[in-house]
Amino acid sequence: MILLLWSFTLISLLATLVISVYGIVAKPNLVKKLIALTIFGDTANVLMVLLGYRLIYPVVPPILPSLSKTALGEFVKTAVDPLPQALVLTAVVIGMAVNVLIAFAIVQVHRLYGTVDARKVGEMLAAFGRGEK
Amino acid sequence: MKRLAGLIIVLLIVLTVSCYVSRMVPPQKNLHPLGEFYLQNSYFGRYSAKSPEAVTSIVWDYRGVDTLFETAVFFLAIIGSLTLFRLNKGQAEEAKRGEPKLELPGPVATVTKVTVAMILAVSASIALHGQLTPGGGFQGGSALAVAPLLIIAVYTKYALEKNGLDKTRAIIIRSIGLLGIALTALVPLLLGGYIMQNQPIFPAKALGVPLGGSLVFYNFFEYLAVGAGFTAVFLLLSIPEEKFRKFLGVRR
Repeated sequence: MILLLWSFTLISLLATLVISVYGIVAKPNLVKKLIALTIFGDTANVLMVLLGYRLIYPVVPPILPSLSKTALGEFVKTAVDPLPQALVLTAVVIGMAVNVLIAFAIVQVHRLYGTVDARKVGEMLAAFGRGEK
Repeated sequence: MKRLAGLIIVLLIVLTVSCYVSRMVPPQKNLHPLGEFYLQNSYFGRYSAKSPEAVTSIVWDYRGVDTLFETAVFFLAIIGSLTLFRLNKGQAEEAKRGEPKLELPGPVATVTKVTVAMILAVSASIALHGQLTPGGGFQGGSALAVAPLLIIAVYTKYALEKNGLDKTRAIIIRSIGLLGIALTALVPLLLGGYIMQNQPIFPAKALGVPLGGSLVFYNFFEYLAVGAGFTAVFLLLSIPEEKFRKFLGVRR
């Protein structure tokens, strides 16, 4: 049963990845593209954290419960892997900063062109290149 | 109806695949050797970072150079956002002109004041306790950035600027944070160590609390950099739309 839940979590995360890639590619609206991109990034982060998880009980976070050497053995037996968490931690904040940058660009596109539809922006750019307007 | 059908099909596919896979996927019960090394060594051991929090010791010590470059990516993303909304001197002056006014009912203002004070305290404790409890500079800074956002939403951005936190100052605070990280990373080079190495010259303990050597410095500076960087971005983002259209010369 636990294995079924575990594989269900993994497969549903993979399905979310696929669906969000579809969203990035297929949606013409730039804001929706950005939303799909954030879903993609967050799903990738959750997958990373799952890599370090352990299917045991009890399972504890990777923080020493007390500063004594006797507790260390028990701690190593129950703690989850800290490395994926450390990698995800920075990725989350950097992802937020990059998303802010993309959101800024979309706001600016909306101000200049009056639309966030990628197709219309493309048409306007083409018309601009031909020297109309 | 069409969407519901698609949803059900996706759910069924996921369920069948996971039923099929569950017999083959190995139960993940053991640590990877690398993770075990970090857990063993983060406080005790020969390669200790003197911090009971394994994640923070990886972020700022064992894999410090990774984090240094990720901070560089963060720096570039914020600089990119600031460059996209670049204003000249007159426009910057005009963007600041405006009166702080409260458009929401009175109790909201009081609650906001209390909440902002609490957010500041909580974010400082997240950042400065990063070597003891879950948290650190990145998380504390992100929590800190919520406080100016709340003020902007309730009192408008002019209130923030009238009280002295304008875009220039936020950028200065952010630069101080990034400079602090760079200098702390360079200190071990002077003593013959490697860049970003956690060396005994950094304090391991103060008042009986483990500081984790250089970890507490990195956490503090990252806290400043992330919090102030996001504040600068939010200040730019909250310039009213009419003003921006005027700056850009868009007639619509």
